[in-house]
Amino acid sequence: MFEALFYLLIFPGGFFLVLVGLGFEWLDRKLLALFQRRVGPPWYQPLADLIKLFSKEDLLPKGGNELVATLLPLLSLCAVLVAGLYVPIAGFTPYSFEGDLIVILFLMSVPTLAYYLAGIISIGIYSILGGGRSLLQYFSYEVPFLIALSGPAVLARSWSIEGILTAQFTLGSFVLFQPLGFILALVGLIGKLKRDPLDIPSAKSEVVGGSLTEFSGGKLGFWHLAMNIQAVVGIFLIINLFLGWTKLANPFVAILVFFLEFLVIVGMLSSASAIFARLRIDQLAGLGWRILVPLSLAQILFVILMGV
Amino acid sequence: MIKNLLDKTYRWAQKNSLWVIHFNTGGCNGCDIEILDLLTPRYDIERLGIIAEASPRHADVLLCTGPVTQQTSAGLWQIYSQMPSPKWVVAVGSCSNTGGVFYGSDTVLGGVDKILPVDLYLPGCPCRPEAIIEGLLQLRERISKDG
Repeated sequence: MFEALFYLLIFPGGFFLVLVGLGFEWLDRKLLALFQRRVGPPWYQPLADLIKLFSKEDLLPKGGNELVATLLPLLSLCAVLVAGLYVPIAGFTPYSFEGDLIVILFLMSVPTLAYYLAGIISIGIYSILGGGRSLLQYFSYEVPFLIALSGPAVLARSWSIEGILTAQFTLGSFVLFQPLGFILALVGLIGKLKRDPLDIPSAKSEVVGGSLTEFSGGKLGFWHLAMNIQAVVGIFLIINLFLGWTKLANPFVAILVFFLEFLVIVGMLSSASAIFARLRIDQLAGLGWRILVPLSLAQILFVILMGV
Repeated sequence: MIKNLLDKTYRWAQKNSLWVIHFNTGGCNGCDIEILDLLTPRYDIERLGIIAEASPRHADVLLCTGPVTQQTSAGLWQIYSQMPSPKWVVAVGSCSNTGGVFYGSDTVLGGVDKILPVDLYLPGCPCRPEAIIEGLLQLRERISKDG
């Protein structure tokens, strides 16, 4: 009983994920600032932003549905928190079962759909535009993302992340066998998190704030928190599926390896947003269906042939 | 006791995370370029936790530039009323403070304080980026003192 509560509220879920989510936001912004030769925000910046958002007035335009607008950010926060409970952290996973990868992939796409609905129900031209764009973006990146993430599962002959970790311990990191799949998974993750260069649904200079244009106060705070935790869970997932080597006998070495791999992935995401300019939505749809999907199919064909 | 502590935490957070929306009420674009300078690596306003936001519902501070004309006065009021409180208004540049060289014109009402309660006046034509940073730092101090 107490063990379950501890898992749920403190270590793999709840408090730990919030803390790492805030830390991720700071690291990302600081790295981007350093790439641009700026100083960047202090370490407490994401925390101050969050507390400030909760201290502010909560407005919604006339005609917007208050109940649904409150439930949507909470729903996406819950979905990513539950997903975080199933992702192994430094090889530690309390509730592993065969097929938890599929559950995580399903839970990770809940925030995108909630984001779309948020755009539709908050009355405003920019939020509706942002919502429509987010759905279009979802159809562009999700297919190559899912195919790329099923590569490790096919290679390890297991749909549980723990099984994939064990297989990597004997075979070697899966990024060696499927570097293409690793890059596709990163591109898909960038699309999922609506980060630069795929921040098409929330582009400030085009659609003001995307779906979240009309959100303020605590609701906006929950949205920010949900997106940060989604980023952390996505990064943890890619670490476990492609880099591996975190299920070691010595827990301290495992934590160190996990942390270093986390830093590597965050650095890759930040440098991607520093290097590339934003794509148009038609460019993204073209890139997704003409280039990324055939590449991911070639990758999975290679994996299947390798396993035979 | 707990209320006091909560109040202090909120003030600390509000002071350290001022999200800014910028609105030109009909100026010459000079002060707007100086505001854009704040985002560049040389001045880097993000180190003070200040971000330029595009939606008034996300913003805490309204940075106004230019004299208030008859045409923009309704829009200015609308943007201000869309911002969630607590919110602050900063008038950047001489035109925004008093109407500047356009004072007395038929189509110009005057400074921003004709329409909105202004918290901070930053004179200059155009107002230099250093002066804007100095002003925003004073605003931070005022927030931490009396909310």
